[in-house]
Amino acid sequence: MNPTLPQTDAQTVTLAIIAVVLPFAAFLVNFLLLGKSKVSGWVSTLAILVSTVLAANVFFKIWGSHTIHAQQVWFTIGATKVQAGVLLNNLSVLLLLLVPVIALPVHIYSTAYMEDDDGYSRYFRYLSLFCFSMLALVVVDNLILLYAFWEMVGFSSYLLIGFWFTRESAIIANKKAFIMNRIGDIGLLSAIIILFTQFHTFDLEQLFAEKGLIENAIIANGEWTSTLGSIPATWQYVAFGGIFLAVAAKSAQFPLHTWLPDAMEGPTSVSALIHAATMVAAGVFLLGRFYPMFTGTELTILAVIGCFTAFMAATIALTQNDLKRILAYSTISQLGFMVMAMGVGAYASSLFHLATHAFFKCLLFLVAGIVIHQMKQIKDDNNLDTDPQNILHMGGLRKKLPLTFIAALIGGIALTGLPLTSGYLSKDGILIQAFDWSDDKGGLLKLIPYFALLTSWLTAFYVARLITKVFFGEFRLQKMNPHIRIHMGDGGWQYKLPLVFLAICCLFPVFSYSPVFYEDAWLYKGFLLTNIFVRQNLFHVIIPLIVVILSVVVMYGAYVIYVKRNTWSFPQKGLLYRISFNEWYIDRFYNRVIIRFVMWLSNAFYWFEKKVVDGFVNSLEKVGLAIAGIAAWFDKNIVDGFLHLVADVVHGIGSFARRFQGGKIQYYLYSMLLVLITVFILKLIWT
Amino acid sequence: MNILTLLIFTPILFGLVILLLPSSLRASFKFITLAATFLQLCFSIYIYLHFQTGVAHAGINHEDQFQFVQKLPWISLDLGSMGKMQIEYFVGIDGISVTLLVMTSLVMVIAAIASWEIKSNLKGFFALFLLLDMAVVGVFCALDFFLFYTFYELMLLPLYFMIGMWGGARREYASIKFFLYTLFGSVFMLLVMVGLYLSVKDPVTGNHTFNIIHMMNPANYIDGSVFSLLSNATILGMPARTVGFVVLFVAFAIKVPVVPFHTWLPDAHVEAPTPVSIILAGILLKIGGYGIIRICIGIFPEVALSGAFWLGLLGVISILYGAFNALAQRDLKRMIAYSSVSHMGFVLLGIASNTAEGISGAVLQMVSHGFLSTMLFFLVGVIYNRVHDRDIYNFRGLGTLMPRYTVYVMVAFFASLGLPGFSAFVAEAFTLAGAFKSHSVNGLLPYWMAICGSIGILLSAAYFLWTLQRMFFGAVSLKGGDVWKTALTDLNFRETATLLPLALIALLLGILPSLVLGKVNDSVLALIQFIQAK
Repeated sequence: MNPTLPQTDAQTVTLAIIAVVLPFAAFLVNFLLLGKSKVSGWVSTLAILVSTVLAANVFFKIWGSHTIHAQQVWFTIGATKVQAGVLLNNLSVLLLLLVPVIALPVHIYSTAYMEDDDGYSRYFRYLSLFCFSMLALVVVDNLILLYAFWEMVGFSSYLLIGFWFTRESAIIANKKAFIMNRIGDIGLLSAIIILFTQFHTFDLEQLFAEKGLIENAIIANGEWTSTLGSIPATWQYVAFGGIFLAVAAKSAQFPLHTWLPDAMEGPTSVSALIHAATMVAAGVFLLGRFYPMFTGTELTILAVIGCFTAFMAATIALTQNDLKRILAYSTISQLGFMVMAMGVGAYASSLFHLATHAFFKCLLFLVAGIVIHQMKQIKDDNNLDTDPQNILHMGGLRKKLPLTFIAALIGGIALTGLPLTSGYLSKDGILIQAFDWSDDKGGLLKLIPYFALLTSWLTAFYVARLITKVFFGEFRLQKMNPHIRIHMGDGGWQYKLPLVFLAICCLFPVFSYSPVFYEDAWLYKGFLLTNIFVRQNLFHVIIPLIVVILSVVVMYGAYVIYVKRNTWSFPQKGLLYRISFNEWYIDRFYNRVIIRFVMWLSNAFYWFEKKVVDGFVNSLEKVGLAIAGIAAWFDKNIVDGFLHLVADVVHGIGSFARRFQGGKIQYYLYSMLLVLITVFILKLIWT
Repeated sequence: MNILTLLIFTPILFGLVILLLPSSLRASFKFITLAATFLQLCFSIYIYLHFQTGVAHAGINHEDQFQFVQKLPWISLDLGSMGKMQIEYFVGIDGISVTLLVMTSLVMVIAAIASWEIKSNLKGFFALFLLLDMAVVGVFCALDFFLFYTFYELMLLPLYFMIGMWGGARREYASIKFFLYTLFGSVFMLLVMVGLYLSVKDPVTGNHTFNIIHMMNPANYIDGSVFSLLSNATILGMPARTVGFVVLFVAFAIKVPVVPFHTWLPDAHVEAPTPVSIILAGILLKIGGYGIIRICIGIFPEVALSGAFWLGLLGVISILYGAFNALAQRDLKRMIAYSSVSHMGFVLLGIASNTAEGISGAVLQMVSHGFLSTMLFFLVGVIYNRVHDRDIYNFRGLGTLMPRYTVYVMVAFFASLGLPGFSAFVAEAFTLAGAFKSHSVNGLLPYWMAICGSIGILLSAAYFLWTLQRMFFGAVSLKGGDVWKTALTDLNFRETATLLPLALIALLLGILPSLVLGKVNDSVLALIQFIQAK
């Protein structure tokens, strides 16, 4: 480690490293020693518990006070030294704490949830590997390690999505998730390479710190100039494009969001931890790390994409019937809010929303897990052929699962953003700042905050629909099959404790003493560059009011529609319904156009390989054979033929001449006469 | 006794023993071969541990900086008025060759273990195997072009027979194709070698020489000779040095293999028995890359600089073309063969960039691919030996049937597709970084090449994961039904003992790339300095 570091800081760094490495140690112990033993669950849980304590320790030392950066040389390539180290600042310690705090209840929950599964210990292996990767991702200090762990979380997510690897849908989903994340990865890699070329370093602090290399670099006259040199400005935009792809892939933003709903094939506890609370937030975290790099236009792009994603996903969530799929689209929508917040300059609010969302979305998924578990139990007990995740089969569960119901209600209210919850504080901030931001913007950009507003009402609706369909009314599965036996309950303490803990964390006191003003939240203040921010205009009063009042109205509407059942119901056939139900046809487009195109291309290349390249080689062979054939013919007929000709001629002359000496007197006389006559004739002619 | 000489000729001694032993002892041949390769591995580890680093040991164009050197007169003929013919037995290594040498020795051990599967004509096979072993190690050590060429050609013969006699159904087609392709390259290489010999004089003795290091110094060229920098001689209207470079490059590009000189590779792999596939992919391809660095760039640096764009372009084409072709395959071995083409494209791209990151990355990629392709082909061999089929669509759900096997397949696949933590990631990332940086450092490669190269990383994920999905996951379903089900047993001890070290090395090099880079860096920096000086 860095020898110049003060004693206490060195200690903090050590604690942070131990907190990160513990889950990995659990992974190794589970993998190498424990085999299929059920102890593995508790090894992983213990590791994450200690990690939580250590992370909390680190958090309180760093938060709001100072930044620690410790590193040492990892390897040297050419003359470039690549460092490995730890960078602890507000952003990293927040996530360093958030991840194990969410992961701990999920671990406890999983010990019960996965109990009967054959892959119990394998599950905890993967889970620990994920926690290690995620924790390392948030504390590392350079781009190479960042990329490494960025991909490692993707890999552990791949393993967990495909946890039930004999299910066809699960393995198609995990392949899709990994490949879509790979698109983001090569974007990130390209961005890293561009930054390295421009700034000759991978060090995050040197690059992105205040007055760091990035801040001092300027774009002018089509060149991106830093203190170390310049490259064409296009490459700054390409780097942004790469980072955007990375964010879009990991945080499921349009157009790379389609893997997330499919990722629900994994165990629900995994969906809660990875595909709702932590990993998918990594994209937003990345935006936070790279924030100083973005230009005004680039931020606007983020705002537009984020807003569009939030809106699109919310419209899809309206009509889905799969419990987990609704929550998945809701996650996409909320992530869209965070990205949009980054785009409109609400940096602090974005990270605040990241933290609050982690709690309430994790809670909602754990609730979903309990519900699905119970539904599956009924299905197995009675040999029914139903989908345990379909909300159309549920209903009235509030009496059977009272604690689960309350937890769902708190999570749902927080997700909608009603007062007294943490969601209200963080979402309000985003909306208000979006309006502030659009004040001096023109044209279509003015619509951004309105769409965000609309989205939060849509959110209210799908949350209300979800909760009423699951917990209110009557139990439709029982109505369809009146004879089924039902044993339901909230489950043991491993289920209850996490729910209670997370539900408490969804309430406002955890984040702020004031239930109304987001500016008072400690988390928000921790990320504010300037601490002076007053409610100077009308937005700050009107927006929360509008959001809350209309949300309540919408929710009541949904309640009336779905529970009372005697009023107007939605059309199930219209164009808008079909667009929503079919998830805007985006996946279908990818499958039918892009994947087909790639496969066509690869087959075309293989055709080219076989027919053209190999064809050329084989035709060379044929030409060679043909030439050899010609040579053989030439040899046989011309060369040999000439030899034979010579031989024949000699032979002919020989035979001819031989006749002159056959020993016949008449022949001699006859030829002498012939010679004499010839001589005479010639003599006559010449004279 | 010089350790390099020992390293080179150990196998041939054991090979002679095998030849002399009666066939009744044929069961012992595989152990003798294994002992030979193992001894060789010990020597190479000794060399690795005693290899000095630092600027004073960079090598490249300084004969005195090479290590473990042995130099003996080999063929010296007094040709009267034409001077003296000087051919030396000259071996030595620098940073470029040392890691490849260790990699080669280890891969040879693995190949020897994989040879257990050979059942017919053992004497012939193992004798040829050890002859091949000697030749490949010799290539990495030789510093005299004549010696290099001798070893280089000597490799062809055993490979030709090993594919042609112990191969699959179309083995004759494959072995002839392989032989002609590589022979085509090396025949022209011979001409350039002779041309170089006639152009270069040993500064000390004044004789013509085959010494590669002398060939790197422009001062050693005779004025007016065909390859002299100053004479501007032409061959068929083109500058002679350009022709020389291109000819040598084509010869090595066939080995690498660079698209469009690659089509021998899939056929050779598909027909070759497992140990030969391992040697082909693990070592032979690296000889191509090594030759480009040591010979092509070393002797014709200024041509390499001016042609860097085309080298880089071929690299990018290989990456993408190989990857797309891999995606279209249904024969597992052919798929892996095309993935080799794709991964070796990174080597060429890195070399073409002429940056420290690029070339170091390329060497690391060669070492890494040496281990990973060995692992991949060994894994294919495991399944082929059990049911004599490799069609991806004939298998399903192997993960349930052979869990340990599947773990190793996943390790090999994910390591190959560049998952961080494994060696290929650092190598590929830095070849791309070098390729991108090239434009602002030396202006050789355009920026877009690196970006296109990175698409190869995406495609590699596609074909490997698709294969995993089709063959290993899902419910069990095999073409051969229950017969296959009983035949497809999980890995045995010998196989695990082979695969585990490979997996660990791939992991180790990914976490501590300095194990390779530490040895390579000085030489690469010296090489770049040497090229820039031109």
